[in-house]
Amino acid sequence: MKKAMVFSIEEFATYDGPGIRTTVFLKGCPLRCEWCHNPEGQSTKNQIIKSQNGCTGCGRCVKEARFVGKRIEYTERSIEVCPNRLLRYCGVWYTSEELVDKIGENADILNASGGGITFSGGEPLSQHEFLFECLKRLKNKTSRAIQTSGYCDSDVFKKILSETDYVLYDIKLVDEDAHIRYTGVSNKKILDNFKILVESGKEFVVRTPLIPGVTDTVENLNGIATLLAENQVSYIELLPYNSFAGGKYASVGMEYHPSFDEGLRPQPHIDIFEEKSIQVKIM
Amino acid sequence: MTERIQKQLQNLKSEEYKSRRSDVTLDITDDVADKTPLMKSALLFRANLACEDPIILPDDRIGFYRSKMVGATYEGENSINVPKNIIPDYEMMLTKGMDQVRSEVVEKANSCDDEQKDFYDSVCLTLDAALEFADRYRESAKKAGSEELYKALCQVPHKAPETLLEACVFLKFIIFTLHCNRNAQIPFGRFDQYMRPYYEHDLKHGISREELLELIEEFFISVNYDGDLYPGMQQGDNGQSLMLGGCDKEGNNVFSDFSKLCMEASLELKLIDPKINLRVDKNTPIELLEFATVMTKQGLGFPQYNNDDIVIPGLVKLGYSLEDARDYAVAACWEFIIPAKGMDIPNVTALSFPKIIARTVESKLNECNSFEELLNFVEKGINEECDKVIAVAYSRKWEMSPYLSVYIRGCIESGKDVAERGAVYNNFGFHGTGIATAADSLAAIKEVIYDKGIYTKEELLEALSLNFEGYNELRNRLLSCPKMGNNIPGVDGIADRLMDAFSNALKEKEDIYGRRFRPGTGSAMYYISSAEKVPATADGRKAGEPFGSSFSPSLECRLNGPLSCIKSFTKHDMTEIINGGPLTMEIHSSTFRNDEGIKKVAQLVKAFIDLGGHQLQLNSINRDTLLDALDHPERHKNLIVRVWGWSGYFVELERKYQEHIIKRTEFMF
Ligand code: SF4
Repeated sequence: MKKAMVFSIEEFATYDGPGIRTTVFLKGCPLRCEWCHNPEGQSTKNQIIKSQNGCTGCGRCVKEARFVGKRIEYTERSIEVCPNRLLRYCGVWYTSEELVDKIGENADILNASGGGITFSGGEPLSQHEFLFECLKRLKNKTSRAIQTSGYCDSDVFKKILSETDYVLYDIKLVDEDAHIRYTGVSNKKILDNFKILVESGKEFVVRTPLIPGVTDTVENLNGIATLLAENQVSYIELLPYNSFAGGKYASVGMEYHPSFDEGLRPQPHIDIFEEKSIQVKIM
Repeated sequence: MTERIQKQLQNLKSEEYKSRRSDVTLDITDDVADKTPLMKSALLFRANLACEDPIILPDDRIGFYRSKMVGATYEGENSINVPKNIIPDYEMMLTKGMDQVRSEVVEKANSCDDEQKDFYDSVCLTLDAALEFADRYRESAKKAGSEELYKALCQVPHKAPETLLEACVFLKFIIFTLHCNRNAQIPFGRFDQYMRPYYEHDLKHGISREELLELIEEFFISVNYDGDLYPGMQQGDNGQSLMLGGCDKEGNNVFSDFSKLCMEASLELKLIDPKINLRVDKNTPIELLEFATVMTKQGLGFPQYNNDDIVIPGLVKLGYSLEDARDYAVAACWEFIIPAKGMDIPNVTALSFPKIIARTVESKLNECNSFEELLNFVEKGINEECDKVIAVAYSRKWEMSPYLSVYIRGCIESGKDVAERGAVYNNFGFHGTGIATAADSLAAIKEVIYDKGIYTKEELLEALSLNFEGYNELRNRLLSCPKMGNNIPGVDGIADRLMDAFSNALKEKEDIYGRRFRPGTGSAMYYISSAEKVPATADGRKAGEPFGSSFSPSLECRLNGPLSCIKSFTKHDMTEIINGGPLTMEIHSSTFRNDEGIKKVAQLVKAFIDLGGHQLQLNSINRDTLLDALDHPERHKNLIVRVWGWSGYFVELERKYQEHIIKRTEFMF
């Protein structure tokens, strides 16, 4: 049985698909979006998170830490000794059976509300074998959704899609160079998989993060609107950037330095979509 | 909201009316020296009313505002023991009018035994005083040119009201006079039931729904005046709960358009009074729960949900007739009581579960070779503690209150004052505080001592006695044990046993007058006050730290989320422990920001009802909570903020992000 590391299970996720959903966040992501707000979701390594608030500076955690050059690496002992419980592993290992048992406990509530389970991340497809096992186990138990960047091989995508009921699909940038620049990878696979998604007939929603000066340009939104129109997609959800995105970096020992201007207001340009009869919802 | 209402809200908030109040103390010691306790109470009531000068507020149609901070008094008077926290028989008084009630009492006085003469005479005296005061108010209204109030007072309280305005004025008069009778914490009971006929009368006579909404808003505004004069444990705790919905005596749903109108009024006004309660059950339409969720969004913490499917059978088990159980409402906070028929004291005191655990662990842990042995000692401890709280109940002696007796069924009929068990029900109720802390403590002991042997009993006892000083790691280990609120069978099962012990102990203790003892899940102020005296507990809680409020997870528990929480707190058969006390859950205000979020929160409420929860209070987390979380991160480990499709524990965010979020909440309400 496959194992995977989960960095969060959010009960009562209200924005990850229809109804009340439990969202499982899997660790590991092949993209490095500049605006990533879940830095602990990027690495497949199990980092230790240290909360900055309530720290009395007693130094116990540091005494138990290792140093790699200048960088500090907290240890399991650091977690144990902090009198204020400010450290924790951000990931927990699960087998697909354990995970499904755990999240399945609330299936009654989820189903009654027309909701279900959503797998998110990181990029859930980066652990597709584990994901596939989970989806199969959940079949006929509850609605199964994935929230994905769409970045994976087409065979993998098709296989996962066959066991998925609902897809939240991210389209960030239509221009390939810009995509490489801001996320670290080409968008070729993503656009290919989008076609597959449309053809599959599965229920899905397209989501675009509105990053000021990056994804919210007239050019990019025009491109996205055209792509949607070509594929007879008539609805999109826009997620305006807000400057909370960097909130968790420090606690995982990372720094947040986006190249775009965080202070700018994201521009939804609703008219671009409306011209093409695409309904917009700003989340 | 109409302009008129906006203006009235401004008047209320300006607090200008407070400057009209004056201090007066009228000493009537000599007048009451040779009088009976009943007569003393009646005379004091009359003197209190005599001290009051009618206040007519500009543009106000409701009337009855206090003009005196203190009224009359006599040597030896003790307002602490004046009956309170019960729901008067508004319906009876409204349908009869005070003149008729008075003539019935006079008839009784003329035909009764000598024994009861004093009671009826006293009651009569209070009714005369009340009517005389109303007349004085009427004349003042006339003089001040307050036309509508004057007209209403020409009808009520002497005669039964016909219009909704007259009913509102009458109701305000009843509450005002009861307050002058020193009866504190007088809830509204089933407002939408006894007021509905007048609403429908007015609709039939061509008055529009909008006008009637405005009138109810005016009434709600008026009950926010003088709230400061009747504080309970703290400001705002003045007992003005108001119940909506539910069923009639046959069990038919009676939620009406008027009930909805009351919710609309409360939603528009966003005032702390009246505190809206809603009776719900499996069949409550989701649309109603959605509307209620919009109210929750305001951040006032209501409506509080009360589940008929659990409360009614629970009350029947306690000996209430099915008809009466179906008529339940809530006392000042959450205690389920029967309007008009109950002189129950549902908040005698609290049984503190953690106190019992702490004591038992300290004295018995060493001799227990198995966890079951320890649990048996705990159960014994609960049983013994029940004897103590019952003794407290018996030590409660009420002062005579003939004026209040008018409003409690059974008193006039039997010629007995409420203070002398004249009412139909005279039961006692106890809060059960800190259930989660207690269950968590036992679960931790089971794990680290009996199941895994990680620590010795000596180590644990030493750590507890030193308040974990020097035992950080041990404490962290305790904190990571299973906690109630995460749907874990082991610890929830322990909570089951504790609650059973509480219920079973009280079940056997019915007294010779047929009075019952009701176990509950509330905490009132005890989650702080009782916790202050409880030493460190084995769940990792330090000495003096508070417990969760009412029936809620402990503050030390890191929660999986609201679904698991609901599951944990609906597992027990709540019909067995039904004095009242809600599961309290906090949901960040951002969840409520659009229709979709509102729908989902409503579905969460529905899940709670369907799973058999008894009472639920949802809070939309507001700025104050966040501010407190800045200063006390340790108290808010579960506070989740969700922004831009992601969530995080608030306390783990960097300060500047926390501050940013707080800033944003300024615009949320
Ligand atoms: S052990 Fe905890 S309180 Fe002490 S320095 Fe480390 S994080 Fe801060």
